[in-house]
Amino acid sequence: MKKKVLAALLATSMVAASLVGCGNSGNEAGGASSADNSTAADTTTDNTAAADNTAADNSAATDTAAADTSADNSAASSDDPVANLIAATTDTVKLTVWASEEDQALTTQLLEDFKAAYPDVTFDITLGSESESTAKDTILADVEAAADVFSFADDQINELVQAGALQPVAATYTLDVANENVAGSVEAATVNGTLYAYPMTADNGYFMFYDASVFSDEDVKSLDKMVEVAEAAGKKIAMDVSNGWYIYAFFQGAGYELTMNEDGSNNCTWNAAGATDVAQAIMDLYGTNVLVDMSDEEMATAIAEGTIAAAVNGTWRAETASDAWGENYSATKLPTFNVAGKDCQMSSYSGYKLVGVNPYSANIGWSMLLAEFLTGETAQTARFEARGLGPSNVAAASSDAVQADPAIAALAAQAAYATPQRVGGNFWAPAETLGQILADGSAGSDLQSVLDTAVEGIMAPIE
Amino acid sequence: MKNKKIFSGNYFKEFGTAVAKGDIWVKLSMLIMGAGYIARKQIINGLIMIALEAVFIITYVFYAAPNLAKFGTLGTVQFEQVFDPLTLTSKVNDYDNSFLILLNSIIALFIIVSFIFVYIGNIKAVYRLQKQKEAGKHINSFREDIKALFNEKFHITLLTLPALGIILMNIIPILVLIAIAFTNYDQQHMPPSALFTWVGWKNFKQLFTNSTTLTFGYSFGKILIWTLEWAVLSTLTTFIGGILMAQFINSKKTKLPKLWRTLFMVAIAVPQFVTLLLVRNFFADSGIVNTICSNIGLTDFLKSVGLVNANLTYIPFLTNPTWAKVMIVLINIWVGVPYQMLIATGVLMNIPVDQLESARIDGANSFQIFWKITMPYVLFITGPSLITDFVRNINNFNVIYLLTQDVYVTSDQLLANSNAKEVDLLVTWLFRLTNEYYNYKIASVIGIIVFIICAGFTLITFTQTIKGSREEDFR
Amino acid sequence: MKKTVGFVVRHLVLTFLVIIWLVPILWLVVTSFSGYKGINTAHFFPETWSLDNYKVLFLQPDSVVQYGAWFKNTLLIAIFTCIVSTAFVLMVSYAMSCLRFKGRKGLMSFGIVLNMFPGVLSMIAVYFVMKSLGLTNSHLGMIIVYSAGSGLGYLITKGFMDTISTSLREAAWLEGASEATIFFKIIIPLSQPIIVYTIINSFLVPWGDFVLAKLMLNSGIATDWTIAIGLFNMLGKSLINKYFSIFCAGGVIVSIPISALFVLMQKFYVEGVTGGSVKG
Repeated sequence: MKKKVLAALLATSMVAASLVGCGNSGNEAGGASSADNSTAADTTTDNTAAADNTAADNSAATDTAAADTSADNSAASSDDPVANLIAATTDTVKLTVWASEEDQALTTQLLEDFKAAYPDVTFDITLGSESESTAKDTILADVEAAADVFSFADDQINELVQAGALQPVAATYTLDVANENVAGSVEAATVNGTLYAYPMTADNGYFMFYDASVFSDEDVKSLDKMVEVAEAAGKKIAMDVSNGWYIYAFFQGAGYELTMNEDGSNNCTWNAAGATDVAQAIMDLYGTNVLVDMSDEEMATAIAEGTIAAAVNGTWRAETASDAWGENYSATKLPTFNVAGKDCQMSSYSGYKLVGVNPYSANIGWSMLLAEFLTGETAQTARFEARGLGPSNVAAASSDAVQADPAIAALAAQAAYATPQRVGGNFWAPAETLGQILADGSAGSDLQSVLDTAVEGIMAPIE
Repeated sequence: MKNKKIFSGNYFKEFGTAVAKGDIWVKLSMLIMGAGYIARKQIINGLIMIALEAVFIITYVFYAAPNLAKFGTLGTVQFEQVFDPLTLTSKVNDYDNSFLILLNSIIALFIIVSFIFVYIGNIKAVYRLQKQKEAGKHINSFREDIKALFNEKFHITLLTLPALGIILMNIIPILVLIAIAFTNYDQQHMPPSALFTWVGWKNFKQLFTNSTTLTFGYSFGKILIWTLEWAVLSTLTTFIGGILMAQFINSKKTKLPKLWRTLFMVAIAVPQFVTLLLVRNFFADSGIVNTICSNIGLTDFLKSVGLVNANLTYIPFLTNPTWAKVMIVLINIWVGVPYQMLIATGVLMNIPVDQLESARIDGANSFQIFWKITMPYVLFITGPSLITDFVRNINNFNVIYLLTQDVYVTSDQLLANSNAKEVDLLVTWLFRLTNEYYNYKIASVIGIIVFIICAGFTLITFTQTIKGSREEDFR
Repeated sequence: MKKTVGFVVRHLVLTFLVIIWLVPILWLVVTSFSGYKGINTAHFFPETWSLDNYKVLFLQPDSVVQYGAWFKNTLLIAIFTCIVSTAFVLMVSYAMSCLRFKGRKGLMSFGIVLNMFPGVLSMIAVYFVMKSLGLTNSHLGMIIVYSAGSGLGYLITKGFMDTISTSLREAAWLEGASEATIFFKIIIPLSQPIIVYTIINSFLVPWGDFVLAKLMLNSGIATDWTIAIGLFNMLGKSLINKYFSIFCAGGVIVSIPISALFVLMQKFYVEGVTGGSVKG
C-alpha cells in the first residue's frame, strides 16, 4: 500500500532521480509519512526530467543513503535501487535489443560486457538488426512487439513519443544522462520537458564534404562561390534538396521558421514576405546544373566515380568521401548562400542517434540499465573507435582522436547554426515536393503561390 | 454456410414448426443441445453438441461478453504507467486497446452468429429425428453419419478447413477494416497507448471534399483515373504482346522455337521483386542507362526535341510523371509478356486447324488470319482471365511500389499534401498511408472503394459463368 | 530470295527482342561478379571481377547477409505453403465443380468477390489475428498466412475440373464409389496439369513476398527472415552502397531453383493454365 502511494507521488513529479541521487529523503522512501514525501516532491518539481541534481557519482551517493537507512528499514531491501533490482531478479532476464546492421558486432561485444557487469543475474539477450533511420516504422506497426531497447535517429522521437513508444527517463542510475552528454543531444532527446531517450551519438546532422584539390578554404565559405569554382573545374556539387530534411537548411538559414505545435501540427513561415527570394535563390543555384539534387545513395556512387567534388551529407558518407578523395578529403560547416544580394549562413538539423526503452517491456528496469550501459562513455568511445561515430558523451567527445576527425570537427563547427529537429509528420511530403520543383525548375514564376501551397500542406491541421 | 436462400422465410418457418410441434426432447434440446440426439440413441452426436454448447457458453462469458461490452465505445481506459525509480519497475493500469476490442468483438460476433445457425440447425435436426422415429424410419448411426461426410455430404468435409482459413485470413480482417473506416484510427489515435472511437461517415466525407489543406478528394480523383488507365494499358499491352510473341515464335518459319521461348522465360525465373528493384537502379537518374544514353548522345537529342526538360542532365526515366508512367507500362510489358506468351502458346496450340486452313484456301494472308481468326478465338478462350488480369492490375502493388518507392518525388503540391504521387495506384497510396503515415481510417475508406470497383467488374463478368448453365456445356 | 530475307529479318527481330529481355538479367549476373560492392553506374560490365559476393552469401554470413538461413527458411515455408495451398485449392475446386449442394453458386460468387479485397490493407488485421494466436515471428505463422486463404483461388482449377467429363464420375458412381473415392482416384490423377500449375504458383509466393513477411517477422533477427526480406533489406538507404552486388548475387541464386521448376514443369504449366482458363 505504502509503495503505491509513493509510486503515485513519484509519478506526479519527476523527481525520482533526486530522491535517489542525493539521498535527501532517502529514509522516507522506504515508506514513512507520505506528507514528507510530497514536500520533497514539491520542492523539486522545478527540476526538469533530466534530473539536474542527480549526483555525478551516483553509486557513491546511493551507498551513503543505503547506509543511512539500513537501520530503520524493516524491509529487506536496501535503498540502492540497482541492488534492489538485482536482489529482486530471480528469473532469467529476457531482453531484445535492436541496433543497426552496421552496429551488430560492436553491440554484441557491449552486451557481453553488460552481462559481465552484473554477474549475479542471468541474462538472455537477443540482438536484432533494425536500421536507425527506419526504426520508427517497425516499432509503430506494433509497439508491444518491438525490442525492449532500441536505437533510432532523433527525427523520429516526436512520433515515437506520441505513440507512447518511449519510456521516459525518469531516473538514472549508472549514468548521468543529462550532464554527461552534450546539451544539444539532451535537448534532442527531450520532448515537452521530459527526457525520453539516451543520447548515443552526436553525428547525425549534415555538413559539407569537399575535395580540397578543387576548393580552397576560402571557396567553401560561400555556396555561390563554390558553384563558380566547380563549374570551372567541370565538377558538380550535390545536395538532396528534394528532401525536407535538407531544404530546411535554406529557409531556416534565411530566417524563416518551422516549428511544431503540441498536437503534432506545424507552424511554418516559409511563405512570409521575402521568402520567395529564398525559393528564387534555390532555383538559381540548381538552375546552374552545377549544384545538383541527388539522393544519398546516388551521391555515394557519384562521389566514388569522381563526378562530384563537394556534397552536403553526413558522417555516414565520410568513408565514401575519404576513400574517393584521399588526402584531399575535407569537411567543413555549411556555406552561406546569396538571398537577394544578402549572404545567409545555411542552417541545418542537428542530428543525434538515441537509444530508447520500450514502455511495454517486461523488464523495464534492466532495459533502462542496459540503455545506460550502451550509451555510457566507455560504449561511446568504443563506438567511435569501431565505426568513427561521433560521441555525444562530453568526455568521450573531448578525446584527441575524436577532435581530429574532420567530419566530426565540421559538425561541431556547424553546430552553432544547427537546430534540433522539431517537426510534425505533415512537413515531409510537401517539403519534398517543394524541393523537387524548385530544383528541376518546374515551379514556374508564381513562387508565392507555390510556397503558399507548400505551407498549407505543412501546416495542415491534425484532427 | 451463408446463402441467400437460408434467409428466406422458409428457414425460420421450419424452425418455428420444430419448436411448436417438437416433443419434450426437442424442447429439452433448446436448453441442452444434445438432448434430442441422446434420446434417439445418437449418443456421440449428442455429446458433441453438449460439448459445443459448453464451449460456446464459456467463450461467451469470458471472451465475447467482455469485449462486446466495450464495442460501443471501443474502450475508455487510457494506457497509464507508473514508474517506480526505487525498484525500477513500472505498474501499468488495466488499459483498453481499441484495436483488440474491435478485432475481438468482430470475432465474437462471428462466433455468436455461427452459434445461432448451429443452434437453429440443431433444433431442426432433432425435430427431423423425431419425425423419422415416429415414421419408424432408420436413424443413422454415428458411423453412418461419418460415412455420409465422405459421400453425399462430402462438400462439408472438403470445405470446412479451407473455409476456416478464409474466415481467419480474409473475412475477419476485411470486417475489421470496414469497421475502421468508421473510426478515427490514425496516428493521433494509435493503440495501445491511445484509444480510437467511432466517427460515423466522417472519413468518407473527408475523402470526397476538397480544400487546400485537405486534398484527399483531389488526389483520389487523380489516382483513380491513373489506376484505371494503368489497369487497361497494362492488361492490354501484355495480353496483345504475349499473343504476338507466341504467334511469332510458334510460326513454322521460326527455327528453334523452344530455345527462343526459354530465353524469354529466363526473365520470369528471376523473382519479380529482384528484377523490379534491379530495373529501378538500372534506370536511376544517375544509373547505368543514363550514363550510356548520355555517352551516345541520346540525352542531348531528347533535350533538343523537348522530351527532356532542358535543365536536366539525365533522362528522368522514373522521376518525371510522364516518363515514369510510360516507363512503368514498358517495364510491366517486360515483366508480363513472357507470362502471357506462355499462356497464349498453349491456347494457340489448340486452335482449330480446319478454320485456319479454309481461310488460307480462301486466299487470306497471314495478317488477316491473325486478326480475323486467331485473335477472336484467343479472346473467346481467355476473355474471362483477361478480366481477372485487369482486376489484378488494379491491385498491382509490386510493380508500382518497387519501381517508385523512395525514388519518385511528386511535383504536384496538392498531391503531396495528401501524401500521394502521380504514379500511385489506389493500393500503393493506401499502403503508404498506413505504413508511413498510420492513417488507417482514410486507407480503409480507399480500400473499401477499391474493393467495390473490383468486385463490380468481377461480378459483371462472372455472373455469366456461374449463374448460367455454361458449366455444363463443355462436358 | 524473298524467303531468305524474311527468314533473316524474323530472326533478327527475335534476337533484338531477346536482347531487350535479357539485358537487365545480364546486368544482374555480371554485377553479381563485380568486385565493387555498390551500384556501378559508369560501366555496364564491372571493372574488377570477383567471386566475393557469392562467398559472402554462403561462406561468410555477416549481420546483414544470412543467406543460408534465409534460403532454408524460405524453402521450408514454400514447401509447406505449397502443400497446404494445393490441397485447399483442390478441395474447394472439386466441391465447386463436381458436387452439387445448396448454396454452391452463392458461395462461389462470394468467394470471387472476397478475393478482390486488396490484401495490403487487411495486412495489419491479419497481423493482429496472428499475434493473438501467438504466431508472429514463427514460420508456422508464415505458412498459415500464405496458405490459409488459398481456397479463394479456386477459379482456374475449377475451370479445369469442369472440363473433365461427367461420364467418368457417373461410371464410378454406378460401381459404388463414394465421392471421396472419385475425388482421389479419378479427378486428382486427371488434374495433373492444373495441380502442377497450382504447385508452382503457391510455391513461388514466399519467394516473392516482402511486405507481409516483413510485418510478420518483425523481431529484427536476420536469421529468421525469408530471402525476400533479406534481399529487400540490402537495398535500404544505409546498406545499398555496400551490398548492391551481393543483392545481385542473391538474386541470381534465388532464380536457380525457380527456373529449374519452370523448365521441368513448363509443359504441365501451359496445359494447366490454358485448360483452366477455357472456363475462366
